[in-house]
Amino acid sequence: MDNSIVVSTPPHVKSRRTTRNIMLDVLIALMPCAIMGCVFFGWQALVIELISVAVCFLSEFCYYFIANKGFSQKCKDAKAVVRRFFKQFDLTSIVTGLILALVIPVTASEWWRVTYEVAIGAVFSIVIVKMVFGGTGKNIVNPAAAGRVFMFLSFTLTSFTACLIGAIDSASVDPATVSTGATSLAGVLANADYGFANPTILLKPLDLFLGTGVAGCIGETCKVAVLVGYIYLCVRKVIKWWQPLLFIGVFGICAVLLSGFAYQTYTFNIELFLPHILSGGVMFCAVFMFTDYVTSPKGVYGQLVYYIAGAVITALLRAYKGVEVVSFVILIMNLITPLIDRYCIRKPFGYIKEKKQKEGK
Amino acid sequence: MKAVKGKLYFGGIHPKGAKSLSENAQTRVMPAPPTVYISLSQSLGKPAVPAVEVGATVCEGELIARADGPISSDVFSSVSGTVTEIKELTGANGAREKFIVIKNDGEGKKKYLDPLSSPSADEIKARIRDCGIVGLGGAGFPTAVKVAPRTPVDTLILNGAECEPYLTCDHRLMLENTDEIARGARYIAKALGISNIVIGIEANKPACIKAFEPYEDIKVVILRKQYPMGGEKQLIYVTTGRKVGLGKLPADSGVVVQNVSTCFAVCEAVEKGKPLYERILTVSGKGITTPSNLRVKVGTCVKDIVEFCGGEIKQIVNIVDENGNATATEKPVPPKKAIQGGPMTGVALSIYDVYTHKTTSGILLLSEDEAAAEEPTPCLNCGKCADVCPMHLMPVNTAFYANAGDFEAAAKFGNTPSCIECGACEYTCPAKRPLIQAIRATKAYLRSKASIPSGPKPVDQKGRSAPSVAPTLSGKVEKPDETQKEKNNG
Repeated sequence: MDNSIVVSTPPHVKSRRTTRNIMLDVLIALMPCAIMGCVFFGWQALVIELISVAVCFLSEFCYYFIANKGFSQKCKDAKAVVRRFFKQFDLTSIVTGLILALVIPVTASEWWRVTYEVAIGAVFSIVIVKMVFGGTGKNIVNPAAAGRVFMFLSFTLTSFTACLIGAIDSASVDPATVSTGATSLAGVLANADYGFANPTILLKPLDLFLGTGVAGCIGETCKVAVLVGYIYLCVRKVIKWWQPLLFIGVFGICAVLLSGFAYQTYTFNIELFLPHILSGGVMFCAVFMFTDYVTSPKGVYGQLVYYIAGAVITALLRAYKGVEVVSFVILIMNLITPLIDRYCIRKPFGYIKEKKQKEGK
Repeated sequence: MKAVKGKLYFGGIHPKGAKSLSENAQTRVMPAPPTVYISLSQSLGKPAVPAVEVGATVCEGELIARADGPISSDVFSSVSGTVTEIKELTGANGAREKFIVIKNDGEGKKKYLDPLSSPSADEIKARIRDCGIVGLGGAGFPTAVKVAPRTPVDTLILNGAECEPYLTCDHRLMLENTDEIARGARYIAKALGISNIVIGIEANKPACIKAFEPYEDIKVVILRKQYPMGGEKQLIYVTTGRKVGLGKLPADSGVVVQNVSTCFAVCEAVEKGKPLYERILTVSGKGITTPSNLRVKVGTCVKDIVEFCGGEIKQIVNIVDENGNATATEKPVPPKKAIQGGPMTGVALSIYDVYTHKTTSGILLLSEDEAAAEEPTPCLNCGKCADVCPMHLMPVNTAFYANAGDFEAAAKFGNTPSCIECGACEYTCPAKRPLIQAIRATKAYLRSKASIPSGPKPVDQKGRSAPSVAPTLSGKVEKPDETQKEKNNG
């Protein structure tokens, strides 16, 4: 008998699914969003996407190369390090890079500033958030969400705040003319300042859904594309179909309930449901960022807690005029995921609840 | 009775069946090999004690080793011949086992017990014990213990699920020996004193479902194609809707589960008096020339079985000699993996020099593209293992803590003691993590911890030792009652 025979513990047959395979599916699911971003925002969006992906890939490669002593004198075979890198490379950094680009609002006038900001954000996402913690599967927060928050906090004066101010000015006049790079969330928020007294100022749900006439982040604007990606991920069983729906549904209900309190009108306007769930990054983040495997709970009960709690916190923060709400909520939920995992453990099949004995009598 | 659909349960996987390889292969009888190596560890519990000396002449079906303890079983000679050796060898799973080596004299003398006509319940029970029948599904639990449950039972479930990929031996048996299985089931039901018989058959075997429908006293339940459908607890839930509690036996829920091939063995034992010394097994995989279902004597060498099925698959290789002339020659291709048992729970073999047991249900030679031998990659925390776990456990947590060496936490956060080691988690893992290995390491730790006595073992008035220290679900170890200990010492 040949020596090539493999001995291992069972099972001896395994599914064909691999990490790389799943990440490829996520990339395919992101494609509609990326393409629609280019359609709406022009070639600048494409440049930003490519820069983000390239920088993410290069920073992972460089980190791996340095960490494996590719540059050191002791390294006998730098080519072997490269070969090993490509053997273990599982496309996660490409996914991170693309998501990071898709959650960036592109401002038409200052798009070149966005490109270098995105590059710095990409390096931060991959090196600080992911690789330093140990690479794939070891990061404690979602790299793309952390990168977006990092950019939001670091480059406040350029891309983000500028959009917001522009939105408040223009949204009150005519939402259809908001073209200077406001996120549609900012539009809703701006209107919120007027106590939702005049719902006609609100962006129309159909416009928000199609992404026409609305400014926003590259990938978040067109909800049709997000929906296509969602369906693809569900068909390929990358995510569970109920996860984004649960998040979006609970968020919409909470947002409607809270809007009355936040602006002291104490009326629950059900018409706000659609604008709320369709605006900003809620749908995109619910499909692509909340469902990130590494930083979401493993068990079913844990996932229920995670999505419901995330939705409630998002609604709360947004109702009280938060900006950049969803990415902060992702970070918060990522950080309490280990806690959720520790306490939400399913009872084994056949577990029979022990009857509590009445004390005293 | 007309077939009804079974319930659903959450979890489980849908591996490629790959049953078409050997599904339509008629069961063939493999001739007795020149020498058989019969292991004394044929069932759970202690190995049997040899009842023959070296040099003794034995007949086919003659008792050669006696059961030692309640969950051990008698062992019978599978050929007629002379006992040449009693020696220790390494078994398929790597443990040392004692073997009785019998040289076949080719005379084929048989020594059976007397056939029983219209037996009573006690007679059937005695016959099952005397014929050394064990559960042929894989665990090897003695059937004699199962037919004498301590709690009242009302239903007998026949396990015809055969949910493991590749294996088709039960499938063939259900088609070819339907009547014997039904009669065997009736004998077992009579021994239990019940009349309610249910058979669960997976939906991918419509011919078997049809074969069992004419029997008025047997209820046929069609099971969804889902692995592990044949797991005892899952089968009971799907066919009857009852759940078996953790650490409980099926009998505690009023159910006895028997594999269909066990029923066949019971039928032969009662009607012919034939002890259990041969069984049907599947030889399959893309690495074997003719996938087949064989009736094989216990103790046959795997090498003989592989050769009987045409050996490893041949590939035509061009060999160029010194003069530059190419000659096409056939060369056997070694498989990537050789497995004894099913692909989900079986044992990977490193050599063909191992011998079949009563519980061996298959020999599989898996080719390069079938066998999974990828390197594990980092865990993604995707939780797919928890989703597919039929016992609703958290294999990811077990693996995480076990790799860190914290087995207590592994058992606590992964609920490891309830694991049935079906392998569904590792099958589905996209990172190809060795989850079952981690689970087994955790279980081994819990066992070793439970078996270490702390001080002298307490003994009660009748001289029995106190219940052994067993790990509970929470990973804590129950200590024997201290007051009891003092009383005993005093």
